[in-house]
Amino acid sequence: MLYKTLSLWLFFSLSTIAIAQNSFQIKGSVISKNTLQPIEGATIIGENLHAVSSASGTFNIHNVTEGTYSFTISHLGYTSKTVNIKASINGEYLKILLEESTTQLDEIKVNGKTKNREHKESPIVSQLVSKEFLTSNRENSLMQTLSKIPGVSTIKIGSGQSKPVIRGLGFNRVAVVQNGIKHEAQQWGNDHGLEIDQYGIENIQIVKGPASLVYGSDAIAGVVDIQPNAIPLTHSFSGEINLLGESNNDLLGISAGIQARKTKWFYRGRLTYRDYGDYKVPTDHINYENYIFTLHGNNLRNTAGKEANASISVGYISNRITTETTISNVNAKNGFFANAHGLEVRTSRIDYDQSNRDIDLPYHKVNHFKITNNTSIALDKHSINLDFGFQNNLREEHSEPIPHGYMPTPSNSKERSFQKNTLSLNVKDAFTIIDDHHIVTGINVEFQDNNIGGWGFLIPEYTRFTIGAFAFDQFEINSDLHLLAGVRYDFGQINSKSYFDWYPSTINNANGSTSYVYLQRAQDKTLNFGNISASVGLSYILNHTTFKINVGKSFRMPLPNELASDGVNYHMYRYEQGNLNLDPEESYQLDIDIDHTTKDFSIGVSPFVNFFENFIYLNPTSNYYETLQIYEYTQNKVFRAGGELRASTSIIPNLKLDASAEYVYSKQTSGPKEGFTIPFSPPLSGLFSASYQFKDIFFFKQPQLSADYRITAAQDEIVPPEEQTEGYQVLNMVLLSNINVFKTQQPLEIKFKLNNVFNTKYYDHTSFYRLIDVPEAGRNISIALTQTF
Amino acid sequence: MKWIAKYFNLILVIVLFTSCSSDDSNTIDEEKPTISINYTEGFPQVCEQLLKGETYSFKAQVADNKALASYSLDLHHNFDHHTHDDQGETCDLEPIKGAVNPFIYMENFEIEGGLTTYEINISITIPDDIDIGDYHCSYSVTDETGWQSRTSIDVKIID
Repeated sequence: MLYKTLSLWLFFSLSTIAIAQNSFQIKGSVISKNTLQPIEGATIIGENLHAVSSASGTFNIHNVTEGTYSFTISHLGYTSKTVNIKASINGEYLKILLEESTTQLDEIKVNGKTKNREHKESPIVSQLVSKEFLTSNRENSLMQTLSKIPGVSTIKIGSGQSKPVIRGLGFNRVAVVQNGIKHEAQQWGNDHGLEIDQYGIENIQIVKGPASLVYGSDAIAGVVDIQPNAIPLTHSFSGEINLLGESNNDLLGISAGIQARKTKWFYRGRLTYRDYGDYKVPTDHINYENYIFTLHGNNLRNTAGKEANASISVGYISNRITTETTISNVNAKNGFFANAHGLEVRTSRIDYDQSNRDIDLPYHKVNHFKITNNTSIALDKHSINLDFGFQNNLREEHSEPIPHGYMPTPSNSKERSFQKNTLSLNVKDAFTIIDDHHIVTGINVEFQDNNIGGWGFLIPEYTRFTIGAFAFDQFEINSDLHLLAGVRYDFGQINSKSYFDWYPSTINNANGSTSYVYLQRAQDKTLNFGNISASVGLSYILNHTTFKINVGKSFRMPLPNELASDGVNYHMYRYEQGNLNLDPEESYQLDIDIDHTTKDFSIGVSPFVNFFENFIYLNPTSNYYETLQIYEYTQNKVFRAGGELRASTSIIPNLKLDASAEYVYSKQTSGPKEGFTIPFSPPLSGLFSASYQFKDIFFFKQPQLSADYRITAAQDEIVPPEEQTEGYQVLNMVLLSNINVFKTQQPLEIKFKLNNVFNTKYYDHTSFYRLIDVPEAGRNISIALTQTF
Repeated sequence: MKWIAKYFNLILVIVLFTSCSSDDSNTIDEEKPTISINYTEGFPQVCEQLLKGETYSFKAQVADNKALASYSLDLHHNFDHHTHDDQGETCDLEPIKGAVNPFIYMENFEIEGGLTTYEINISITIPDDIDIGDYHCSYSVTDETGWQSRTSIDVKIID
């Protein structure tokens, strides 16, 4: 590479000497921003102009014609920088400061390509989320933090839990991946969050489109890929402590993490604890259908919760092998709104209002235990990645035992429990053939075993085995034009187990007699599924503009509840009926992404068109079963289109302006709800942000004030049993600053945040509590402190 | 003009993107059916006292903009005070007690012929051997699209 560059440079230098008349020179030096030492061997590349920095960091480009040139200065282990240089007679001496990139991996793998460059070269429409973004935008749960990204939203369950939604699709249509392993919890559940500690995450890649090719089933709408953290530098020890306090739900949170490395061995650990009370809404009563629930002190009764997480990892790195084993446990207990459980209005003798911190019935507790190992082996031509994972997810839902239908009063409060074990193995081999073809092949194997308990029945016990194999080729047609094409095949088998009610139901027979039967709710059944996925895309980089186009086919295996449900969900006043004849969902999507980024401004657009051959959803029919409306899992064609727009500028010194908009149009084009949208469709929404960097004031270093203004349109497109939701506008403000309190090298980072500044009463169409007309949280003041050492 | 040339692609995409959001040409049913007991014959009324052994006609008026489909009636005990009705009035509940042989009535019916208004009329005889006390009576109705409306009434069964 170096010789190539040198020879190119020599060639062009010599040839320009021969022909140039009025020529100038560009000179300067490349210096490390971190150590201020010169960087040798940095490449300075512009259009037809190349140079390499000397041992003293200096470079010279002779015989340049007058004009402005754009150069990219890059070096292994440093973040590349693009500068515009004006070549004139009295050309100024340039000082270029390169920042060390923290990822050790970059140095090994990317041949001088930064993550940013790699991201540009990949035709997959995705978004990289950095630790800085997570820190400065941190909300109560991981997905609430990420919902600032255009195209990403959440389904919220109270103040502490949320699940991802990408372009209007969520639940099992978005795969969440952590350390290469698909997170397997009870994703299908309405009132279930993500059991992932949001502290200690450095990088997330969000794929906004079909990604089954690499991630398999479930990645039909997108992926939230929480990537392994960077390996610490040799002979280092570092850590951080985060403290958080919030006024709206009286939250207190602490998280502490450390990491250390000698030479080959490295260690990490983190502990997080959060405890919060009921959250407050800007109203003193909830008006749900004809019911009125008065709220004590604006507290949404019994929505308190607590969470305790721990993780530890040990890793080994040598020339050829990098391996890290992580053990983590997330434990949480969350209360549910006491006046209505689901849609069911409840009265109780429990004195909910005696404290806003106690967690009474109904509540759920979850525990997610996870062991993962990530190993990469660098062979001469191949780089092999192995990911292994074991996950145990326990969820118990407790509510006051009351009789329902023919079910007598149960003896305890354990309504449902789920215990799910998942074993996963991914093997991936990346190699290069004929120089330009970067091939990746891989196999994913997963085995799942789900057990149930409690007196309420929703999904059967089941085991599931899936295996998938894929191969894709990223073909570098030239340095700016990349083609990615791949294909995958998956096979899956689901064994659902039979279930009988624990109480008899009254059946009036045709001959006038009455029998009492323990009804069967699920059958013993083995179902096999096979599916082909594929993706092909192009990426073209033209100066500051990146064009991407991608066509993909993704799939999702039906879930056991979609196949085999046959039970009464009293909290939702419905009888849920599965359908054993459901096919795997298949979705075709065309994605385009155009991004134009210069030093001063950036604009981007990412439209998509999507077609579902057989979208599965719970369709409310007009029939009844034991006086409850029958909802049956149905599949039909769905057309979706939409996308995101984004623009930002930093043309005014110290002021950064951002604007983004997201929109999804969905329509069922066949089936019983033809013409309707699909459930939980997010409305058109825009976000405007301004952030101003002040000069240091007293002991506040680098104070930065930002304001986010979200404008969301009304959602009139609904499908039974949803309600239309009015539009809203809400303002959030953040003040970030550093303070040198301790005489250490690292300052204390302080974040002062004001959510919902005007205490606006508004409804989020995709919130779980929207169904019972509960508005979103009111004004919240939060203070977050982070001390790194 | 150079600017336009430079950003032509972007503009094109934005125009295409915004023009995609077309309107719905076919009409979909976005209205729920309605259900009411607030008329003279509506039965039971709030805090109604039902006698054991008597036969009553349970009546409610339902309507829909397009076509009614089904309705159901559910009578179950509220001895544990687990819920209350949505009629705006509250009845005095008896002390909480356990259930021995509570009355359970759960039946579904169809409304044929795509009617837009209909009067529910169900004749129920209250058995003699069941527990007396607080009961809960709920009606629900669906339309052909799958929209549902419900209403519930607190009643008592007495000797």
